[in-house]
Amino acid sequence: MAAELTLRRPMLRTTFRKTLSDQRRALVWWALGLFAAGATYAPFYPSIKENAETLTKYMESMPEFLKDAFLGASGDFVSPAGYLNTELFNFFAPILMLLYAIGAGARAIAGEEERQTLDVLLATPIARRRVVLEKYGAMLAGGAMLAIVLWLSVPLTGPPFDLTPSLWDLAAACLMTYLLAIAFGSIALAVGCATGRRGLAIGVTAGLAGAAYLIDLLTPAIESVEWLQYLSPLHYFLDPEPMMNGLGVGGSLVLAGIAVVALAYALWSFERRDLAA
Amino acid sequence: MADVIRAENLTKFYGKQRGVLELDFAVKPGEVFGYLGPNGAGKTTTIRTFLDFIRPTEGRATVLGLDSHRDSVEIHRRVGYLPGEFSLYEQMTGAEYLAFFAQLRGGVDPGYVAELAERFDVELHVKIRSLSHGNRQKVALLQAFMHRPELLILDEPTQGLDPLMQQEFYRLLSETRSDGRTVFLSSHVMPEVDRTCDRVAIIREGRLAAVEDIGDLKAKEIRTLEVHFTAPVAETEFAGLPGVRQVEASGDEVRITVAGPMDAVVKAVARHEVVDLQSHEPSLEEIFLTFYGGAEHGG
Repeated sequence: MAAELTLRRPMLRTTFRKTLSDQRRALVWWALGLFAAGATYAPFYPSIKENAETLTKYMESMPEFLKDAFLGASGDFVSPAGYLNTELFNFFAPILMLLYAIGAGARAIAGEEERQTLDVLLATPIARRRVVLEKYGAMLAGGAMLAIVLWLSVPLTGPPFDLTPSLWDLAAACLMTYLLAIAFGSIALAVGCATGRRGLAIGVTAGLAGAAYLIDLLTPAIESVEWLQYLSPLHYFLDPEPMMNGLGVGGSLVLAGIAVVALAYALWSFERRDLAA
Repeated sequence: MADVIRAENLTKFYGKQRGVLELDFAVKPGEVFGYLGPNGAGKTTTIRTFLDFIRPTEGRATVLGLDSHRDSVEIHRRVGYLPGEFSLYEQMTGAEYLAFFAQLRGGVDPGYVAELAERFDVELHVKIRSLSHGNRQKVALLQAFMHRPELLILDEPTQGLDPLMQQEFYRLLSETRSDGRTVFLSSHVMPEVDRTCDRVAIIREGRLAAVEDIGDLKAKEIRTLEVHFTAPVAETEFAGLPGVRQVEASGDEVRITVAGPMDAVVKAVARHEVVDLQSHEPSLEEIFLTFYGGAEHGG
Protein backbone atom coordinates (compact mmCIF):
# COMPACT_ATOMS: atom_id res chain seq x y z
CA MET A 1 0.00 0.00 0.00
CA ALA A 2 2.80 2.40 0.86
CA ALA A 3 3.98 2.63 -2.72
CA GLU A 4 0.51 3.48 -3.96
CA LEU A 5 0.18 6.32 -1.48
CA THR A 6 3.38 8.18 -2.29
CA LEU A 7 3.17 10.13 -5.47
CA ARG A 8 4.44 13.49 -6.38
CA ARG A 9 1.48 14.64 -8.43
CA PRO A 10 -2.07 13.49 -9.16
CA MET A 11 -2.02 10.40 -11.33
CA LEU A 12 -3.61 10.78 -14.69
CA ARG A 13 -6.53 8.59 -15.58
CA THR A 14 -7.03 7.33 -12.03
CA THR A 15 -10.80 7.52 -12.34
CA PHE A 16 -10.65 6.03 -15.82
CA ARG A 17 -8.73 3.02 -14.56
CA LYS A 18 -10.95 2.57 -11.53
CA THR A 19 -14.11 2.71 -13.64
CA LEU A 20 -12.76 0.07 -16.00
CA SER A 21 -11.58 -2.03 -13.10
CA ASP A 22 -15.04 -1.81 -11.50
CA GLN A 23 -16.45 -3.16 -14.76
CA ARG A 24 -13.95 -5.93 -15.21
CA ARG A 25 -16.16 -8.78 -14.05
CA ALA A 26 -19.18 -7.52 -15.95
CA LEU A 27 -17.03 -6.97 -19.02
CA VAL A 28 -15.92 -10.59 -18.98
CA TRP A 29 -19.57 -11.66 -19.02
CA TRP A 30 -20.45 -9.20 -21.77
CA ALA A 31 -17.48 -10.45 -23.78
CA LEU A 32 -18.58 -14.06 -23.32
CA GLY A 33 -22.09 -13.11 -24.36
CA LEU A 34 -20.89 -11.35 -27.50
CA PHE A 35 -18.53 -14.16 -28.36
CA ALA A 36 -21.36 -16.63 -27.90
CA ALA A 37 -23.58 -14.45 -30.10
CA GLY A 38 -20.98 -14.52 -32.85
CA ALA A 39 -20.25 -18.21 -32.38
CA THR A 40 -23.84 -19.43 -32.13
CA TYR A 41 -24.74 -18.50 -35.68
CA ALA A 42 -21.86 -20.39 -37.30
CA PRO A 43 -23.17 -23.99 -36.89
CA PHE A 44 -26.50 -23.06 -38.53
CA TYR A 45 -24.89 -21.57 -41.59
CA PRO A 46 -24.50 -24.81 -43.61
CA SER A 47 -28.19 -25.67 -43.36
CA ILE A 48 -29.15 -22.14 -44.41
CA LYS A 49 -26.92 -22.44 -47.42
CA GLU A 50 -28.34 -25.83 -48.41
CA ASN A 51 -31.91 -24.64 -48.21
CA ALA A 52 -31.19 -21.30 -49.80
CA GLU A 53 -33.67 -21.68 -52.62
CA THR A 54 -36.65 -22.64 -50.50
CA LEU A 55 -35.90 -19.99 -47.94
CA THR A 56 -35.49 -17.29 -50.54
CA LYS A 57 -38.85 -18.10 -52.07
CA TYR A 58 -40.47 -18.07 -48.67
CA MET A 59 -38.90 -14.77 -47.75
CA GLU A 60 -39.90 -13.19 -51.00
CA SER A 61 -43.53 -13.84 -50.23
CA MET A 62 -43.27 -11.65 -47.11
CA PRO A 63 -44.38 -8.00 -47.02
CA GLU A 64 -41.61 -5.55 -47.80
CA PHE A 65 -41.09 -4.11 -44.30
CA LEU A 66 -40.95 -7.53 -42.66
CA LYS A 67 -38.43 -8.60 -45.21
CA ASP A 68 -36.41 -5.52 -44.37
CA ALA A 69 -36.68 -6.27 -40.70
CA PHE A 70 -35.47 -9.83 -41.04
CA LEU A 71 -33.09 -9.62 -43.91
CA GLY A 72 -31.87 -6.08 -44.08
CA ALA A 73 -32.15 -4.02 -47.22
CA SER A 74 -30.01 -6.27 -49.38
CA GLY A 75 -32.22 -9.30 -49.00
CA ASP A 76 -29.16 -11.50 -49.20
CA PHE A 77 -28.94 -14.01 -46.38
CA VAL A 78 -27.14 -16.79 -48.12
CA SER A 79 -23.61 -15.51 -48.63
CA PRO A 80 -21.44 -15.50 -45.46
CA ALA A 81 -21.64 -11.70 -45.36
CA GLY A 82 -25.37 -11.68 -46.00
CA TYR A 83 -25.96 -14.34 -43.38
CA LEU A 84 -24.05 -12.44 -40.72
CA ASN A 85 -25.63 -9.18 -41.77
CA THR A 86 -29.08 -10.68 -41.41
CA GLU A 87 -28.62 -12.71 -38.30
CA LEU A 88 -25.92 -11.09 -36.22
CA PHE A 89 -25.78 -7.42 -37.12
CA ASN A 90 -29.47 -6.85 -37.67
CA PHE A 91 -30.34 -7.79 -34.16
CA PHE A 92 -28.30 -9.58 -31.57
CA ALA A 93 -24.91 -7.85 -31.69
CA PRO A 94 -26.28 -4.29 -31.64
CA ILE A 95 -28.68 -5.14 -28.82
CA LEU A 96 -25.93 -6.56 -26.60
CA MET A 97 -23.59 -3.68 -27.36
CA LEU A 98 -26.37 -1.17 -26.73
CA LEU A 99 -27.22 -2.74 -23.39
CA TYR A 100 -23.61 -2.53 -22.28
CA ALA A 101 -23.15 1.08 -23.36
CA ILE A 102 -26.47 2.32 -21.99
CA GLY A 103 -25.71 0.70 -18.63
CA ALA A 104 -22.21 2.14 -18.51
CA GLY A 105 -23.34 5.59 -19.58
CA ALA A 106 -26.18 5.73 -17.08
CA ARG A 107 -24.03 4.43 -14.24
CA ALA A 108 -21.09 6.75 -14.87
CA ILE A 109 -22.33 9.79 -12.95
CA ALA A 110 -25.92 9.07 -11.95
CA GLY A 111 -24.94 5.69 -10.48
CA GLU A 112 -22.36 7.26 -8.18
CA GLU A 113 -24.71 10.07 -7.30
CA GLU A 114 -27.52 7.69 -6.33
CA ARG A 115 -25.21 5.50 -4.30
CA GLN A 116 -23.84 8.60 -2.53
CA THR A 117 -20.24 8.02 -3.49
CA LEU A 118 -20.00 11.10 -5.71
CA ASP A 119 -19.45 13.76 -3.02
CA VAL A 120 -16.15 12.34 -1.85
CA LEU A 121 -14.98 11.79 -5.42
CA LEU A 122 -15.75 15.38 -6.39
CA ALA A 123 -14.21 16.74 -3.18
CA THR A 124 -10.83 15.84 -4.70
CA PRO A 125 -8.98 18.28 -6.96
CA ILE A 126 -10.52 16.64 -10.03
CA ALA A 127 -12.92 18.91 -11.89
CA ARG A 128 -16.41 17.66 -12.62
CA ARG A 129 -15.81 17.61 -16.38
CA ARG A 130 -12.66 15.59 -15.87
CA VAL A 131 -14.59 12.94 -13.93
CA VAL A 132 -17.19 12.77 -16.71
CA LEU A 133 -14.50 12.50 -19.39
CA GLU A 134 -12.57 9.76 -17.61
CA LYS A 135 -15.70 7.73 -17.05
CA TYR A 136 -16.68 8.31 -20.65
CA GLY A 137 -13.25 7.09 -21.67
CA ALA A 138 -13.84 3.92 -19.67
CA MET A 139 -17.10 3.33 -21.54
CA LEU A 140 -15.29 3.86 -24.86
CA ALA A 141 -12.55 1.42 -23.88
CA GLY A 142 -14.93 -1.23 -22.51
CA GLY A 143 -17.11 -0.99 -25.61
CA ALA A 144 -14.06 -1.21 -27.89
CA MET A 145 -12.96 -4.36 -26.14
CA LEU A 146 -16.39 -5.90 -26.70
CA ALA A 147 -16.39 -4.88 -30.37
CA ILE A 148 -13.04 -6.60 -30.82
CA VAL A 149 -14.35 -9.75 -29.16
CA LEU A 150 -17.34 -9.67 -31.49
CA TRP A 151 -15.03 -9.32 -34.45
CA LEU A 152 -12.84 -12.21 -33.29
CA SER A 153 -15.78 -14.52 -32.66
CA VAL A 154 -16.47 -15.01 -36.38
CA PRO A 155 -13.00 -16.00 -37.69
CA LEU A 156 -12.49 -18.13 -34.57
CA THR A 157 -15.69 -20.14 -34.93
CA GLY A 158 -16.89 -19.73 -38.54
CA PRO A 159 -14.35 -21.54 -40.77
CA PRO A 160 -15.43 -25.13 -39.92
CA PHE A 161 -18.89 -24.17 -41.18
CA ASP A 162 -17.74 -22.29 -44.26
CA LEU A 163 -18.69 -19.02 -42.62
CA THR A 164 -15.78 -16.97 -43.92
CA PRO A 165 -16.75 -13.40 -44.66
CA SER A 166 -14.35 -10.59 -45.48
CA LEU A 167 -12.64 -9.66 -42.22
CA TRP A 168 -12.49 -6.03 -43.34
CA ASP A 169 -16.22 -5.86 -43.82
CA LEU A 170 -16.69 -7.69 -40.57
CA ALA A 171 -14.48 -5.09 -38.89
CA ALA A 172 -16.53 -2.31 -40.47
CA ALA A 173 -19.72 -3.89 -39.16
CA CYS A 174 -18.24 -4.26 -35.67
CA LEU A 175 -17.01 -0.66 -35.73
CA MET A 176 -20.42 0.65 -36.73
CA THR A 177 -22.11 -1.50 -34.08
CA TYR A 178 -19.69 0.09 -31.64
CA LEU A 179 -20.48 3.60 -32.84
CA LEU A 180 -24.20 2.91 -32.56
CA ALA A 181 -23.75 1.65 -29.00
CA ILE A 182 -21.58 4.63 -28.05
CA ALA A 183 -24.14 7.04 -29.49
CA PHE A 184 -26.82 5.65 -27.18
CA GLY A 185 -24.39 5.22 -24.30
CA SER A 186 -23.60 8.92 -24.64
CA ILE A 187 -27.30 9.76 -24.52
CA ALA A 188 -27.63 7.69 -21.34
CA LEU A 189 -24.63 9.53 -19.89
CA ALA A 190 -26.21 12.86 -20.79
CA VAL A 191 -29.55 12.02 -19.16
CA GLY A 192 -27.71 10.75 -16.07
CA CYS A 193 -25.52 13.86 -15.91
CA ALA A 194 -28.51 16.16 -16.30
CA THR A 195 -30.76 14.43 -13.78
CA GLY A 196 -28.59 12.34 -11.47
CA ARG A 197 -31.03 9.48 -11.92
CA ARG A 198 -29.70 6.21 -13.26
CA GLY A 199 -33.00 4.44 -13.75
CA LEU A 200 -34.37 7.39 -15.67
CA ALA A 201 -31.26 7.50 -17.85
CA ILE A 202 -31.60 3.81 -18.70
CA GLY A 203 -35.34 4.05 -19.28
CA VAL A 204 -35.24 7.13 -21.48
CA THR A 205 -32.35 5.84 -23.57
CA ALA A 206 -33.73 2.33 -23.99
CA GLY A 207 -37.06 3.89 -24.94
CA LEU A 208 -35.33 6.06 -27.53
CA ALA A 209 -33.52 3.04 -28.94
CA GLY A 210 -36.79 1.12 -29.16
CA ALA A 211 -38.52 4.03 -30.87
CA ALA A 212 -35.57 4.42 -33.24
CA TYR A 213 -35.88 0.77 -34.18
CA LEU A 214 -39.60 0.98 -34.86
CA ILE A 215 -39.25 4.18 -36.85
CA ASP A 216 -36.55 2.64 -38.98
CA LEU A 217 -38.56 -0.54 -39.42
CA LEU A 218 -41.95 0.95 -40.27
CA THR A 219 -41.50 4.34 -41.88
CA PRO A 220 -39.63 3.37 -45.08
CA ALA A 221 -42.68 1.41 -46.22
CA ILE A 222 -45.02 4.39 -45.87
CA GLU A 223 -44.31 7.03 -48.44
CA SER A 224 -45.83 10.00 -46.62
CA VAL A 225 -43.60 9.53 -43.55
CA GLU A 226 -40.66 7.97 -45.28
CA TRP A 227 -38.46 10.94 -44.31
CA LEU A 228 -38.91 10.02 -40.64
CA GLN A 229 -36.41 7.21 -40.99
CA TYR A 230 -33.64 9.78 -41.21
CA LEU A 231 -34.44 10.79 -37.62
CA SER A 232 -33.65 7.32 -36.38
CA PRO A 233 -30.01 6.76 -35.36
CA LEU A 234 -30.51 3.12 -36.27
CA HIS A 235 -31.03 4.10 -39.87
CA TYR A 236 -27.41 5.22 -40.04
CA PHE A 237 -26.28 1.84 -38.78
CA LEU A 238 -28.65 -0.48 -40.62
CA ASP A 239 -28.95 1.24 -43.95
CA PRO A 240 -25.25 1.17 -44.97
CA GLU A 241 -25.13 -2.60 -44.30
CA PRO A 242 -21.40 -2.50 -43.52
CA MET A 243 -21.20 -6.29 -43.47
CA MET A 244 -22.07 -6.20 -47.17
CA ASN A 245 -20.68 -2.88 -48.30
CA GLY A 246 -17.85 -2.02 -45.93
CA LEU A 247 -17.76 1.02 -43.70
CA GLY A 248 -20.56 3.50 -44.24
CA VAL A 249 -18.63 6.71 -43.77
CA GLY A 250 -21.63 9.02 -43.69
CA GLY A 251 -23.54 6.80 -41.29
CA SER A 252 -20.51 6.45 -39.03
CA LEU A 253 -20.07 10.20 -38.92
CA VAL A 254 -23.71 10.71 -37.98
CA LEU A 255 -23.42 8.17 -35.16
CA ALA A 256 -20.18 9.72 -33.92
CA GLY A 257 -21.82 13.14 -34.17
CA ILE A 258 -24.69 12.02 -31.95
CA ALA A 259 -22.15 10.79 -29.40
CA VAL A 260 -20.22 14.07 -29.46
CA VAL A 261 -23.32 16.22 -29.07
CA ALA A 262 -24.63 14.05 -26.23
CA LEU A 263 -21.25 14.16 -24.48
CA ALA A 264 -21.11 17.93 -24.81
CA TYR A 265 -24.58 18.19 -23.30
CA ALA A 266 -23.56 15.83 -20.50
CA LEU A 267 -20.55 18.00 -19.63
CA TRP A 268 -22.53 21.21 -19.83
CA SER A 269 -25.48 20.02 -17.75
CA PHE A 270 -23.37 18.33 -15.09
CA GLU A 271 -21.19 21.40 -14.68
CA ARG A 272 -24.06 23.70 -13.85
CA ARG A 273 -26.25 21.44 -11.73
CA ASP A 274 -26.72 21.06 -7.98
CA LEU A 275 -25.75 17.55 -6.94
CA ALA A 276 -28.02 15.40 -4.83
CA ALA A 277 -26.81 14.93 -1.26
CA MET B 1 -4.75 36.80 8.58
CA ALA B 2 -7.65 36.41 6.21
CA ASP B 3 -10.72 34.39 7.09
CA VAL B 4 -10.53 30.72 6.20
CA ILE B 5 -14.22 30.48 5.39
CA ARG B 6 -16.50 33.38 4.73
CA ALA B 7 -20.23 33.22 4.08
CA GLU B 8 -21.64 36.43 2.67
CA ASN B 9 -25.40 36.68 2.56
CA LEU B 10 -25.33 33.00 1.61
CA THR B 11 -28.80 31.89 0.59
CA LYS B 12 -30.01 28.67 -0.96
CA PHE B 13 -33.49 27.74 -2.03
CA TYR B 14 -34.47 24.42 -3.51
CA GLY B 15 -37.33 25.62 -5.65
CA LYS B 16 -39.51 27.28 -3.06
CA GLN B 17 -38.13 25.20 -0.24
CA ARG B 18 -35.83 26.91 2.20
CA GLY B 19 -32.24 25.67 2.34
CA VAL B 20 -30.37 28.44 4.18
CA LEU B 21 -31.11 32.14 4.40
CA GLU B 22 -28.76 35.12 4.43
CA LEU B 23 -25.92 33.48 6.29
CA ASP B 24 -23.08 35.78 7.29
CA PHE B 25 -20.18 34.46 9.28
CA ALA B 26 -16.44 33.93 9.12
CA VAL B 27 -14.15 31.16 10.31
CA LYS B 28 -10.74 32.30 11.53
CA PRO B 29 -7.44 30.57 10.82
CA GLY B 30 -6.45 27.94 13.33
CA GLU B 31 -9.77 27.60 15.09
CA VAL B 32 -12.12 24.70 15.49
CA PHE B 33 -15.41 26.18 14.43
CA GLY B 34 -18.60 24.41 15.39
CA TYR B 35 -21.73 24.58 13.30
CA LEU B 36 -24.51 23.60 15.58
CA GLY B 37 -28.13 23.01 14.73
CA PRO B 38 -30.86 20.41 14.79
CA ASN B 39 -31.27 18.03 11.87
CA GLY B 40 -32.74 19.78 8.87
CA ALA B 41 -31.55 23.22 9.96
CA GLY B 42 -29.40 23.66 6.85
CA LYS B 43 -25.98 22.49 8.05
CA THR B 44 -25.34 20.10 5.18
CA THR B 45 -26.66 22.63 2.66
CA THR B 46 -24.15 25.19 3.91
CA ILE B 47 -21.26 22.73 3.79
CA ARG B 48 -22.09 21.47 0.32
CA THR B 49 -22.14 25.06 -0.89
CA PHE B 50 -18.60 25.58 0.42
CA LEU B 51 -17.52 22.60 -1.68
CA ASP B 52 -19.41 23.70 -4.80
CA PHE B 53 -21.68 20.65 -4.90
CA ILE B 54 -24.58 23.07 -4.81
CA ARG B 55 -24.61 26.71 -5.88
CA PRO B 56 -26.02 29.53 -3.80
CA THR B 57 -29.24 31.18 -4.90
CA GLU B 58 -27.87 34.45 -3.56
CA GLY B 59 -24.72 35.60 -1.85
CA ARG B 60 -21.44 33.76 -1.98
CA ALA B 61 -18.90 31.83 0.00
CA THR B 62 -15.14 32.02 -0.02
CA VAL B 63 -12.95 29.22 1.24
CA LEU B 64 -9.24 29.86 1.88
CA GLY B 65 -9.80 33.22 0.22
CA LEU B 66 -11.00 31.53 -2.98
CA ASP B 67 -14.41 31.69 -4.57
CA SER B 68 -16.33 28.52 -3.73
CA HIS B 69 -17.53 28.05 -7.30
CA ARG B 70 -14.88 29.54 -9.57
CA ASP B 71 -11.90 28.11 -7.67
CA SER B 72 -13.46 24.85 -6.50
CA VAL B 73 -10.66 22.62 -7.78
CA GLU B 74 -8.01 24.58 -5.88
CA ILE B 75 -10.20 24.58 -2.77
CA HIS B 76 -10.64 20.81 -3.02
CA ARG B 77 -6.89 20.40 -3.24
CA ARG B 78 -6.42 22.11 0.12
CA VAL B 79 -9.49 20.84 1.99
CA GLY B 80 -10.33 17.51 3.61
CA TYR B 81 -14.01 16.65 3.57
CA LEU B 82 -16.14 14.17 5.43
CA PRO B 83 -19.76 14.11 4.23
CA GLY B 84 -22.66 13.63 6.61
CA GLU B 85 -24.20 10.93 4.49
CA PHE B 86 -22.06 8.92 2.15
CA SER B 87 -21.25 5.48 0.83
CA LEU B 88 -17.83 4.09 0.15
CA TYR B 89 -16.92 1.88 -2.78
CA GLU B 90 -18.19 -1.41 -1.41
CA GLN B 91 -16.08 -3.67 -3.59
CA MET B 92 -12.78 -2.10 -2.48
CA THR B 93 -10.85 -2.72 0.70
CA GLY B 94 -10.19 0.24 2.97
CA ALA B 95 -6.57 0.29 1.78
CA GLU B 96 -7.62 0.33 -1.87
CA TYR B 97 -10.11 3.06 -1.15
CA LEU B 98 -7.51 5.27 0.51
CA ALA B 99 -4.96 4.52 -2.21
CA PHE B 100 -7.49 5.57 -4.86
CA PHE B 101 -8.08 8.92 -3.18
CA ALA B 102 -4.39 9.34 -2.46
CA GLN B 103 -3.77 9.01 -6.19
CA LEU B 104 -6.42 11.58 -6.99
CA ARG B 105 -4.70 13.91 -4.54
CA GLY B 106 -1.22 13.32 -5.91
CA GLY B 107 -0.01 11.14 -3.06
CA VAL B 108 0.00 11.31 0.72
CA ASP B 109 2.43 10.37 3.49
CA PRO B 110 1.99 6.61 3.96
CA GLY B 111 3.45 6.79 7.46
CA TYR B 112 0.73 9.21 8.50
CA VAL B 113 -1.99 7.02 7.00
CA ALA B 114 -0.61 4.00 8.85
CA GLU B 115 -0.49 6.00 12.08
CA LEU B 116 -4.10 7.15 11.69
CA ALA B 117 -5.23 3.64 10.80
CA GLU B 118 -3.60 2.31 13.93
CA ARG B 119 -4.98 5.04 16.19
CA PHE B 120 -8.50 4.48 14.96
CA ASP B 121 -8.07 0.74 14.77
CA VAL B 122 -9.34 0.58 11.19
CA GLU B 123 -9.61 -2.72 9.35
CA LEU B 124 -7.99 -1.72 6.07
CA HIS B 125 -7.63 -5.11 4.46
CA VAL B 126 -11.18 -6.34 4.27
CA LYS B 127 -13.75 -5.35 1.67
CA ILE B 128 -15.66 -2.27 2.70
CA ARG B 129 -18.95 -4.08 2.13
CA SER B 130 -18.25 -6.22 5.20
CA LEU B 131 -17.38 -3.29 7.48
CA SER B 132 -19.68 -2.00 10.20
CA HIS B 133 -21.07 1.51 10.02
CA GLY B 134 -18.51 2.73 12.55
CA ASN B 135 -15.62 1.29 10.58
CA ARG B 136 -16.85 2.87 7.37
CA GLN B 137 -17.02 6.18 9.19
CA LYS B 138 -13.39 5.69 10.23
CA VAL B 139 -12.26 4.95 6.66
CA ALA B 140 -14.01 8.13 5.51
CA LEU B 141 -12.35 10.08 8.35
CA LEU B 142 -8.93 8.84 7.26
CA GLN B 143 -9.76 9.90 3.73
CA ALA B 144 -10.47 13.42 5.00
CA PHE B 145 -7.35 13.71 7.17
CA MET B 146 -4.71 11.73 5.27
CA HIS B 147 -3.36 14.54 3.11
CA ARG B 148 -3.03 16.88 6.11
CA PRO B 149 -5.25 19.54 4.59
CA GLU B 150 -5.07 23.08 5.92
CA LEU B 151 -8.85 23.09 6.33
CA LEU B 152 -11.10 20.21 7.36
CA ILE B 153 -14.81 20.38 6.67
CA LEU B 154 -16.52 17.67 8.65
CA ASP B 155 -20.27 17.04 8.55
CA GLU B 156 -21.35 15.28 11.75
CA PRO B 157 -17.99 13.52 12.04
CA THR B 158 -18.64 11.43 15.16
CA GLN B 159 -21.84 9.72 14.09
CA GLY B 160 -21.39 5.99 14.33
CA LEU B 161 -18.12 6.20 16.26
CA ASP B 162 -18.07 4.43 19.60
CA PRO B 163 -17.14 6.55 22.66
CA LEU B 164 -13.50 5.44 22.66
CA MET B 165 -13.08 6.44 19.03
CA GLN B 166 -14.84 9.72 19.69
CA GLN B 167 -12.16 10.50 22.28
CA GLU B 168 -9.47 9.65 19.75
CA PHE B 169 -11.18 11.88 17.23
CA TYR B 170 -11.28 14.77 19.71
CA ARG B 171 -7.53 14.32 20.26
CA LEU B 172 -7.00 14.43 16.52
CA LEU B 173 -8.96 17.65 16.38
CA SER B 174 -6.85 19.32 19.03
CA GLU B 175 -3.65 18.17 17.28
CA THR B 176 -4.99 19.64 14.07
CA ARG B 177 -5.57 22.91 15.86
CA SER B 178 -2.08 22.90 17.36
CA ASP B 179 -0.70 22.48 13.83
CA GLY B 180 -2.37 25.77 13.05
CA ARG B 181 -4.87 24.15 10.76
CA THR B 182 -8.55 24.99 10.74
CA VAL B 183 -11.58 22.78 11.32
CA PHE B 184 -15.20 23.43 10.42
CA LEU B 185 -17.37 20.87 12.11
CA SER B 186 -21.11 20.44 12.11
CA SER B 187 -22.99 18.78 14.90
CA HIS B 188 -26.43 18.50 16.38
CA VAL B 189 -25.17 17.67 19.86
CA MET B 190 -24.18 20.45 22.22
CA PRO B 191 -21.65 18.58 24.40
CA GLU B 192 -19.54 17.62 21.40
CA VAL B 193 -19.27 21.18 20.17
CA ASP B 194 -18.75 22.26 23.72
CA ARG B 195 -15.65 20.18 24.23
CA THR B 196 -14.04 20.52 20.82
CA CYS B 197 -14.75 23.97 19.46
CA ASP B 198 -13.39 27.47 19.97
CA ARG B 199 -16.38 29.19 18.48
CA VAL B 200 -19.82 28.07 17.49
CA ALA B 201 -22.37 29.22 14.98
CA ILE B 202 -25.87 28.16 15.85
CA ILE B 203 -28.18 27.62 12.92
CA ARG B 204 -31.87 27.10 13.13
CA GLU B 205 -34.45 26.80 10.36
CA GLY B 206 -31.87 27.94 7.83
CA ARG B 207 -30.95 31.11 9.67
CA LEU B 208 -27.97 31.97 11.80
CA ALA B 209 -29.20 32.32 15.37
CA ALA B 210 -25.87 33.31 16.92
CA VAL B 211 -22.11 33.06 16.67
CA GLU B 212 -20.55 32.67 20.10
CA ASP B 213 -17.23 32.02 21.75
CA ILE B 214 -17.49 28.67 23.38
CA GLY B 215 -16.71 30.28 26.73
CA ASP B 216 -19.70 32.59 26.46
CA LEU B 217 -21.89 29.71 25.48
CA LYS B 218 -20.70 27.70 28.43
CA ALA B 219 -21.40 30.62 30.72
CA LYS B 220 -24.95 30.52 29.48
CA GLU B 221 -25.14 26.79 29.60
CA ILE B 222 -27.87 25.25 31.62
CA ARG B 223 -27.50 22.03 33.53
CA THR B 224 -29.89 20.12 35.69
CA LEU B 225 -28.37 18.55 38.78
CA GLU B 226 -30.13 15.61 40.32
CA VAL B 227 -28.89 15.11 43.86
CA HIS B 228 -29.84 12.20 46.05
CA PHE B 229 -29.23 12.98 49.74
CA THR B 230 -29.39 10.65 52.73
CA ALA B 231 -32.17 12.78 54.19
CA PRO B 232 -34.61 15.36 52.80
CA VAL B 233 -33.14 18.80 52.12
CA ALA B 234 -35.24 21.97 51.84
CA GLU B 235 -35.59 23.69 48.45
CA THR B 236 -34.79 26.99 50.11
CA GLU B 237 -31.20 25.84 50.67
CA PHE B 238 -30.58 26.34 46.93
CA ALA B 239 -33.30 28.63 45.66
CA GLY B 240 -31.50 31.91 46.19
CA LEU B 241 -28.01 30.85 45.02
CA PRO B 242 -26.35 32.53 42.01
CA GLY B 243 -27.34 30.94 38.70
CA VAL B 244 -30.11 28.77 40.09
CA ARG B 245 -33.16 28.90 37.89
CA GLN B 246 -35.37 26.29 39.42
CA VAL B 247 -35.43 23.88 42.38
CA GLU B 248 -37.72 20.90 42.95
CA ALA B 249 -37.46 18.66 45.97
CA SER B 250 -39.20 15.34 46.45
CA GLY B 251 -38.24 13.16 49.37
CA ASP B 252 -34.46 12.73 49.53
CA GLU B 253 -34.00 13.99 45.97
CA VAL B 254 -33.56 17.53 44.72
CA ARG B 255 -33.47 18.70 41.09
CA ILE B 256 -31.67 21.99 40.62
CA THR B 257 -31.50 23.82 37.28
CA VAL B 258 -28.40 26.00 37.09
CA ALA B 259 -27.16 28.47 34.49
CA GLY B 260 -23.47 29.33 34.34
CA PRO B 261 -20.90 28.50 37.03
CA MET B 262 -21.84 25.72 39.41
CA ASP B 263 -19.63 26.73 42.29
CA ALA B 264 -22.23 28.06 44.73
CA VAL B 265 -24.56 25.14 44.16
CA VAL B 266 -21.87 22.52 44.55
CA LYS B 267 -20.75 24.05 47.83
CA ALA B 268 -24.31 24.14 49.11
CA VAL B 269 -24.81 20.52 48.13
CA ALA B 270 -21.60 19.55 49.88
CA ARG B 271 -22.92 20.65 53.25
CA HIS B 272 -25.14 17.56 53.24
CA GLU B 273 -24.43 13.86 52.92
CA VAL B 274 -24.77 12.90 49.25
CA VAL B 275 -25.67 9.43 47.96
CA ASP B 276 -25.65 10.19 44.26
CA LEU B 277 -25.28 13.14 41.95
CA GLN B 278 -26.05 13.41 38.27
CA SER B 279 -25.71 16.29 35.88
CA HIS B 280 -27.76 16.48 32.70
CA GLU B 281 -26.69 18.41 29.62
CA PRO B 282 -29.44 20.43 28.11
CA SER B 283 -30.84 19.41 24.77
CA LEU B 284 -30.47 21.76 21.84
CA GLU B 285 -34.14 22.58 22.13
CA GLU B 286 -33.68 23.68 25.71
CA ILE B 287 -30.83 25.95 24.66
CA PHE B 288 -32.89 27.46 21.90
CA LEU B 289 -35.77 27.83 24.30
CA THR B 290 -33.65 29.63 26.83
CA PHE B 291 -31.45 31.85 24.71
CA TYR B 292 -32.55 32.20 21.17
CA GLY B 293 -36.16 33.11 21.44
CA GLY B 294 -38.65 30.33 21.56
CA ALA B 295 -38.84 26.69 20.62
CA GLU B 296 -37.98 25.61 17.13
CA HIS B 297 -40.74 24.85 14.79
CA GLY B 298 -40.14 21.52 13.16
CA GLY B 299 -36.93 20.72 11.30
